[in-house]
Amino acid sequence: MEPPGNDAVQLESAEKIILRWDSTVSEDARERMIFDGDRSEIERYLHAVDEIQRSMDFATLSDDRSKSGAGAIQIAMARLEDEFRSILIAHTAPIETDTLVDSSHSASRTDSSVGDLPDDSFSYADDDSFTGSELLEGAGESSRSSTIASYRSTNSIREIDLMPPEAIEDLRSIAERMISAGYLRECVQVYGSVRKSVVDANFRGLGVEKLSIGDVQKLEWETLEKKIRRWIRAAKVCVRVLFASEKRLCEQIFESLGESTDDACFTETVKGPAIQLFNFAEAISISRRSPEKLFKILDLHDALSDLLPDVDFVFEAKSSESIRVQAEEITSRLAEAARGILSEFENAVLREPSRIPVPGGTIHPLTRYVMNYISLISDYKQTLIELILSKPVTGSRYSGDLTTPDMDFNELEGQSQAPLALHLIWIIVILQFNLDGKSKHYKDASLAHLFMMNNVHYIVQKIKGSPELREMIGDTYLKMLTGKYRQAATGYQRATWVRVLYCLRDEGLHPTGGFSSGVSKSALRERFKSFNAMFDEVHRTQAAWLIPDTQLREELRISISELVIPAYRSFLGRFKGHIESGKHPENYIKYSVEDLETAVLDFFEGYQEELGIDSSASNVKCLGNMKCTWSNHNDGPDKKASAYCSTRLVPVKDPEV
Amino acid sequence: MPATDNQGSFLNRISIRRNQVVSMDGGHEQELEDLDLFQKHVADRFSDLFSQPPQQPSPDSSAESPAPDALLSISWLRKLLDAFLCCEAEFKAVLVMGRDPTQFSKPPLDRLIPDLLDRSVKALDICNAITHGVELVRNWQKLAQIAVFALQQQPIGEGQVRRAKKALNTMLTSMTLDDKESGHGKSTERTWSFGRRGGGAASASVNKDRTAGGHFRAFSLSFAKSWSAKQQIQAMSSNLVAPRVGEPTGLALPVYIMSTVLVFVMWALVAAVPCQERTGLATHFPVPRQSGWAQAVLGLQEKIGEEWKKKEKKGIAGVLDEMQRMEKAGLWLVEFAEAFQFPMESSKADEVAAQVAELADVCRRMEEGLVPLQLQVREVFHRIVRSRAEVLDVLDQVGKLTSPVPY
Repeated sequence: MEPPGNDAVQLESAEKIILRWDSTVSEDARERMIFDGDRSEIERYLHAVDEIQRSMDFATLSDDRSKSGAGAIQIAMARLEDEFRSILIAHTAPIETDTLVDSSHSASRTDSSVGDLPDDSFSYADDDSFTGSELLEGAGESSRSSTIASYRSTNSIREIDLMPPEAIEDLRSIAERMISAGYLRECVQVYGSVRKSVVDANFRGLGVEKLSIGDVQKLEWETLEKKIRRWIRAAKVCVRVLFASEKRLCEQIFESLGESTDDACFTETVKGPAIQLFNFAEAISISRRSPEKLFKILDLHDALSDLLPDVDFVFEAKSSESIRVQAEEITSRLAEAARGILSEFENAVLREPSRIPVPGGTIHPLTRYVMNYISLISDYKQTLIELILSKPVTGSRYSGDLTTPDMDFNELEGQSQAPLALHLIWIIVILQFNLDGKSKHYKDASLAHLFMMNNVHYIVQKIKGSPELREMIGDTYLKMLTGKYRQAATGYQRATWVRVLYCLRDEGLHPTGGFSSGVSKSALRERFKSFNAMFDEVHRTQAAWLIPDTQLREELRISISELVIPAYRSFLGRFKGHIESGKHPENYIKYSVEDLETAVLDFFEGYQEELGIDSSASNVKCLGNMKCTWSNHNDGPDKKASAYCSTRLVPVKDPEV
Repeated sequence: MPATDNQGSFLNRISIRRNQVVSMDGGHEQELEDLDLFQKHVADRFSDLFSQPPQQPSPDSSAESPAPDALLSISWLRKLLDAFLCCEAEFKAVLVMGRDPTQFSKPPLDRLIPDLLDRSVKALDICNAITHGVELVRNWQKLAQIAVFALQQQPIGEGQVRRAKKALNTMLTSMTLDDKESGHGKSTERTWSFGRRGGGAASASVNKDRTAGGHFRAFSLSFAKSWSAKQQIQAMSSNLVAPRVGEPTGLALPVYIMSTVLVFVMWALVAAVPCQERTGLATHFPVPRQSGWAQAVLGLQEKIGEEWKKKEKKGIAGVLDEMQRMEKAGLWLVEFAEAFQFPMESSKADEVAAQVAELADVCRRMEEGLVPLQLQVREVFHRIVRSRAEVLDVLDQVGKLTSPVPY
């Protein structure tokens, strides 16, 4: 179809419009932008471009019209490129941080400086105590839920309008014409160069630091923990708001304008910031492994794997594949790090080398540390169950390797336990193994038993105190543990009291051997004397010993009373007369039954003044790089332990024994 | 597979124990043999990289096309990275496999290993910076393609020339700015202030065009302002000391060789690809002249060093072969465009066609090579991460073995 004759006139006027706006010719055209001005002029110009382009579709190459048309198109395209850039630049205001945060949080921001604004708006109250307290308070749960609350606004993709609809409409009408005239590359180029600056500015506004891997390796872990928290928040905003909104803008302007232009523009715009963003997580994922890093690494892992579906969605284009791949790589590297750290932790527990016994046989700092650590592990159960897929490598029964405990998990059969649960049990087995070794350093066998009783009892209490932990450890093993501390209690009673009670036996008091015969007074006196001396000694020493758990303390005292008091009462009843009839009975009968009952109440109170143990007892070494944050907050008598711990051990609150 | 990963490292330990036993009898000879082979392979690989085929006149005589593997070309860099990956694999075999872990805690390794780990971390950052830089080159390639596309139209008219000039000016400006200022954190605000004005006037004023050209900083910095590729290279090479001759070197030698290879490869990448702050990059770091394996490395160092000096002296944007060619053709074409008058003489048309063909050839090579190069840099990154993890693993084992007083 030939263009009708009157089209020639139209074409001529169209070319005139184009030439009027040729900035190489007129000063006015150089100074003003079409799209800044009158709407009707915009329409006229666009219409002129269409007109010329349409005429060229019908013209043949040799045609004169084609030549002048081509010239006009080139002028128009240069012009439109400038207009395109100008509109883009007019809408480069950075995203209001307000829109990134819930309105309920805005109050907390008023007093913070602009620089650290994004961080503050999301921080929670106990910011400083975070590192230590989390480990001991089992704060994992609570801090996580508060995090979730603050992040509510970024829990899913939430695109915001980066430009008013009219601007988008204008950009699209230009892009359409540039692309159909073969100026796709210029269009992408201009779009990318302007938007990239905006994304960069927004990115900086979120407080994402450009740390190199080298920088990250040099920073203290505490510092990094704060940065990880900040990063998680920033990453959510970046992916779900910033990048997602850029993606939508690209779609609004370029969608279905051919050759996946929208993808190309989007990738061009966000690739740099995206790579930078993930660079930090990558640096963390390859940092050296040590136990105290586990929970923050898990936080980071969780945040990332939570983000992955959105990363996949936002970066679905082929051209941004590398970003998707990188995010996945980092997530799996973090998972591997978590696995590695768990096995490091097991090793550290096994090898924890302190040999100096804790005074009074109380709970060893290692026990507290390990139990708090695994309580936290159970808080992260959901993630770890997915990550920990292999059973622990235990010593085998006949290995003869005395440095590793044996363990046969088949003993726990009947419960289908996840590998993670087996690891927790294994850690407790290792802990007990280590404690057993430590108990051998007590010179007094009774104290060794008491020490084991205290520690295993603490383990049991800790398990019972956490439903999650209890569920994972399971009743079978919990029963074994309960049996173990009862056994230790019995062991203690034997070691201490069999000897004492031996004084109260009848045999040897009757010279002729029969009960009916008379009583040897001197033998009787000796018996009383040695009973008194022994009980004195036991009372003096064991009042200095400590059972921090009141109930356990009470129970053990009762069982001591039940053992000793009736025996003494009956001995006294039978032989009191023989002594009282002699000289100085008070030298032999020092205690009434009531005296003994009262004396037993002093047992295991940890009376310091009677401690015969060198208080300069040296430090418990830390487990490698572990931050030892065990404590003795609630039970008063246990205070001694803090003096006893090395300075590297930071005492923090322990909410519950 | 998470589960097998775990197992992998465990099996690894087993195999180390097994090999320990082997190393007691005759293991020493095996070790020396491995070491010799390692040196020989390093020497071979770098000799290959050094002895490039001479430039061949290309079949169509209009433009002489350099050999595809010319020194510092994209495909040469890819070969270099290949060589690195091979050396690295072999090195790890020598260093870690069959090794008694306690050697890591004894001289000379106790001192060398931390340096090695430190260098790997620096190399990782350089890899990231290079990925960033390659992205920048891709951006230039896209601009060059606009020019190629415009100037391949026949006959060449005013409009096409203008279009090509605009794209090439943006490209050349970006090359200069991003290279020269990439260390000084020129913020986007500055470019904005003239961006609009420059953009509007782009086709009007030729001179302004060259400096402004509506150029927006194509890429932001990859790291904090203080990060400098030059200093990273310097730090990596500063503690590079050859084991003394006559000393029982043991593993010190392979560690030294591999470190030198690592530093060399990173240095060559930094020289070739735009990278944050590399002004004043050393043209040379110590490589022992007398060692056989080092000859080719030395030769390459000299050649690349010369190229680098030339770059700093002439103020050209890069020593990457394709970039040099792109800049040269680009400058020529801009000059041509500025003097362009319609219609063109046919002799001129031939010249233009040759330059356009040259630019098109460069674009094609970049199109084919840059993405694979980026992937390869990433692979190098992964490899370094993995090796570092394995070495750390061995160090942890040493910690365990020396129990009960490991801390």
